[in-house]
Formats: sequence, structure tokens, C-alpha cells
Amino acid sequence: MRCGAGIEARQVNELFINIDPIQAGGRLTGDAIKAIIAYGDGYSVCDNCRKPNRLDYIAKPPIVDFHKDVASWLNMDTARVVPGARRGFQAVTHTYVQKGDPVLLTSLSHYTEFLAVEGAGGVAREIPANAEHIITADATAAKIEEVQRETGKPPVLAFIDHVDYQFGNMHDVAAITKVAHQYDIPVLYNGAYTVGILPVDGKSLGADFVVGSGHKSMAAPAPSGILATTTEHAQQLFRTTTIEGDVTKRRFGIKEPEMMGCTLMGATLVGMMASFPHVKERVKHFDLELAHNKIIIDALRSIDGTKILSEYPRRHTLTRVDTTGSFDRVAETHKKRGFYLSSALADHGVTGVIPGATRIWKFNSYGTTKRQAEHLAAAFVAIADENGLRVTR
Amino acid sequence: MVFSATYALTDLRMILRETAPSHELDAEKRVQAERLLDNLERQVAALKQEMLK
Repeated sequence: MRCGAGIEARQVNELFINIDPIQAGGRLTGDAIKAIIAYGDGYSVCDNCRKPNRLDYIAKPPIVDFHKDVASWLNMDTARVVPGARRGFQAVTHTYVQKGDPVLLTSLSHYTEFLAVEGAGGVAREIPANAEHIITADATAAKIEEVQRETGKPPVLAFIDHVDYQFGNMHDVAAITKVAHQYDIPVLYNGAYTVGILPVDGKSLGADFVVGSGHKSMAAPAPSGILATTTEHAQQLFRTTTIEGDVTKRRFGIKEPEMMGCTLMGATLVGMMASFPHVKERVKHFDLELAHNKIIIDALRSIDGTKILSEYPRRHTLTRVDTTGSFDRVAETHKKRGFYLSSALADHGVTGVIPGATRIWKFNSYGTTKRQAEHLAAAFVAIADENGLRVTR
Repeated sequence: MVFSATYALTDLRMILRETAPSHELDAEKRVQAERLLDNLERQVAALKQEMLK
């Protein structure tokens, strides 16, 4: 079945349980798919764009309300939609970071945070994680002091991931933010794995900026995301254009340079908007997601030699696993070598584990039903059994 | 009618996602699927009448 020349219709989520670590929270809701069908044409949300001609002022579809709702939901003052979390990072660094400025990242930060700092000419200074792969407030204070000693000035901005992409560990953002603020360092809360997954209260966490990913965690198409901030920072971050052409004397109204005017002008935005009521509801039930994750984790831990590298008990569904002592031992002699695991999982109707990975790999069970979680658990145990690994029942 | 039919198919698609990989439907999902398929048939019949008259 094709939907265009050389483009197979994608049926991954219809045929398999998909535990791909970056895809789980971005699977669309039915309403988002319906919205995309209706709004797939280019500038589809611009039918009713009226003065002052800016995306976040459009009332039909209710984009203006969506912006207000997102800000309120995150307990922040103002929000904008952006083409992915990375573009949110970029808007903030472009506004606050000058050439040579030190910027705090962590040893678990996503590469796009580094690129955002690099793009603005900043210098990356990483807060090291402890032995449990956790970023602490104490380590943050120590790093700030180190940067001050070496450069004579504190970092101008700190990026803190509430849940990191490497281990899916949860870090104490409120405590870290408190430390950063003692040095007048504004904090960008990276909610790529939390906004749309679990409740996020930006002001309680002390965040100056909240960035979320639509396609990673808000059941929205790519590229989409949100950038929210406080009234204090909004004026600078969302400043309006002042440029004027020397020949035409043209000016560009209230367009915002950091947003490059308008951002998501069609299917991405309505997809995110259509999912939003479901997303607001689903974050209230994250405990269920953890319960389903536990079913799978318990099964994996029952296989001798398997270790959970993420913090345990789990506080997020994104989980890093070490199967060097179990599934990788099978790979040494299996005719399919390391590819046997993903192949066997596919036979059980499971996808999302990197083909060939049998040592350290990640999965994300977010969005699985209880029945699907039980199916996943049974699949891992069955594969272990079939390959002579000992399972403790 | 085109949207109604397409949306009924979308809802069916969501059932496939929720029940992957076995697609075994429990009583509730079966009722939901039957309702959607009936609606889809009605929409297709109406489309035939309108577009091919």
C-alpha cells in the first residue's frame, strides 16, 4: 500500500506495539489524525488571519485560545508554538547568550541544547551527573562556582532536563532552579519528556522558560513544540520587530524575530491543538503508565543477567536496560547475531528496539494499554525461554 | 460525507492501534467497531448517491 511514489503507507503503530524511546509520546490521537486530514494543505490555518496578522492572534481555528490554554496549563504567563523543542532552545539562547558566555548544560543534556548554545556563540559548561546518573542541586552549585572562578562571571543561562533522554531519570528541577536563581541565572526547563506526559507546573519548579516537544510528548506531528515563559522574560524573548527597509520603508508590524514571524501554520499546529484536550487529561493518569511500565520492567528483571540502568523504581516510562549478561550472550552464537532480538520481538508483534542492539538499549512503554504491557512482558520472557536464558518466576 | 467516512475509518484505525498486535476485540471494542463500520457503510452509500447521480 503506497501513499505516494516510493512512499509506503506507514502502519507501524497499527501492526505492532511500538516501544521506540522517542516515538511513544508523539503517537497521534484520533482527533489529531482527523485534524491533519482536514488541515493538510500548506497555510491551512491562515484562512481567517486578520490584523494584526500573527499566528497566535488567529481566532478560527481557535489558535489564540490554544496559546492561552497552554500557558495556563503549564502555569506560565505566555506561550508560543515552535517547530520543535530545539527551536524553543534556540530562541532562548539567541536572546540571552552572547559570544563567549558560559551556559550551564548537564552531562545528560540533549545534543540540540548544545547546538542552541553553539549557535549563539556560547560556551557549554556541563554539570556532571552523580554515580546514579542524577543531576543534583549541589553539583549545580559546584559547577556555577567553578565557572565563576574560571571566567569571572556566572553562566548566563541554565538548561535543565526534568527527565533526561539517556536514562529517563527524573532530576530535582525545583532544587536546581533555586540554586541557579541565587546566582541570578535564568533556567530553561527542558520538558521534552514531561510536557504532555506528566503534570508540569512551571512556576512551582521555578522555571523561567518551559520548553516542550509536540512530536515527542504531546501527541502531535513533527516538527512541533511549545515555548512558555514568565511576564518578566516575555518582553525580551518575544520582542517585536523594529527593522525597517531603507528603500521601501517597510516595517513588519508585531511579528516576533525569535519566532521568525509565524511558526506552525498548518497541520502541525492543528494536530497539536486537536490532541491537547486528550493530552491535558492523560497527564493526570501517569501513575497508570508507570504501573504498565512496571509490568514490563518486572519481566525484564526476571531474566537472569538483565539490569535496569535507569533509576529504580521507575519514575518515567523511558527506561535504559543492560542485557549484556542475558540477551547479548545469546547473540554470540545465534545465527542472526545481535539482530535476533529485534527479529524475535517483531515475531511477537513488538517494534522500536534498535535492530542489532543486545547490550544497552532503551525503550519507552508510554501509551501502552495494560494488555499490551502484559503482551510485552510475556514476549521478553518467551524470547529468553526460547534461547535458554534462565528466568526467575 | 467524505470527512464523516474518513473519520470513521480513522476511529477504526485507532482501534487497531489500541489492540495491536493481536487485534482481538473485547466486547466493548467490538460494539464500537460495529457502530463505526455501520456508519461507514451509510456514508459510502450516501456518497455514491450524491456523486454518481
